[in-house]
Amino acid sequence: MTALSRDEPRAAAPSRPHRGAAALPPGAAALPPGAPVCGRHDEPDPMDWVAALHGAGAEHAEALRRLHALMVRAAAHQVWRMRSALPDPSPGTVEIIVNQAADEAMTALLGKLDSFEGRSRFTTWAFKFAILQAATEVRRVQWQHREVQWRDLDEPRASAHDDPESHAEGADLSRAVAAAMREVLTPYQRRVAVALLVDGVPIDVLADRLGTTRGALYKTLHHVRVRLRVELTARGYLPTRPARSRGGGPGPAPANADYSEAPTTHTGGVR
Amino acid sequence: MSAPRQPREPVLPPDAVDTLLRDTTPWLSCEECFERMDTYAEATVADPAHVDEAMDTHLRGCAACDEEARSLIDLLRA
Ligand SMILES: [Zn+2]
Repeated sequence: MTALSRDEPRAAAPSRPHRGAAALPPGAAALPPGAPVCGRHDEPDPMDWVAALHGAGAEHAEALRRLHALMVRAAAHQVWRMRSALPDPSPGTVEIIVNQAADEAMTALLGKLDSFEGRSRFTTWAFKFAILQAATEVRRVQWQHREVQWRDLDEPRASAHDDPESHAEGADLSRAVAAAMREVLTPYQRRVAVALLVDGVPIDVLADRLGTTRGALYKTLHHVRVRLRVELTARGYLPTRPARSRGGGPGPAPANADYSEAPTTHTGGVR
Repeated sequence: MSAPRQPREPVLPPDAVDTLLRDTTPWLSCEECFERMDTYAEATVADPAHVDEAMDTHLRGCAACDEEARSLIDLLRA
């Protein structure tokens, strides 16, 4: 069993320098969740955001200021939702995480500005960057001092606190799933599945420790589930069902697939 | 005097079994989920009965994307 640690440990969020502090619009961090701000889904966009953000002069500065306020609002909304996961949910810590996430989300958004196609309101599109960044940051802070066990199925948890016998109900299916995991999954697939679905390690945290991405781990997980469902169906534990379209995705992994290395390319905003 | 304990075969907890066997087809990647999240959230706010099979399936299988999509929907409703 291996404990995964970060290659380059980052300091706790509150001690990290807040590079965007000077750019914070006055009062932006104090915007409470639910405060009226442009971006209500039922209101028209009051400005052409893309043009303004590409522009220059006072209009550009104003667009940046308003965009940052939106990012702070969405980040604050997200951190508030997840505050119980924070080791230190004090207002000061929360504000630092919010501002840091807003800054990083704004940078990510501006780098993708030309990919905005107007299929949603610009403000909704902007919110999702801040929500992703804030949620990822909260999970990182939550786990920054915790080891991630990179363990195989039959290696015990370091801090096991549940008694296997308490799961007597459904133990037959459980044993069948465990047996299938040993037989049809690669060691890498088993370890990913154990970390994410048994030990409850957040996918962003595991991706960070393994030097891969959320998307790559989800792809591995998808293959794990497809393989297990095929196996459990063959063994009579799951009902058969008609074949269905897989939407052009990766489909089931072949029987000899070896995902010993994390595959993927990073194409979206998801890390 | 007790007999030496035999190593017990680990039994997966029911919630782990449930999520390990979750059907995540049709396939949608986390990257595609992020790209579609804004339009999905607006459609869901406009019509709570809105169905997007690929998105709904991904969100059932990906806890992180699910949290973020639900958060965006809540924010739009605020
Ligand atoms: Zn996802």
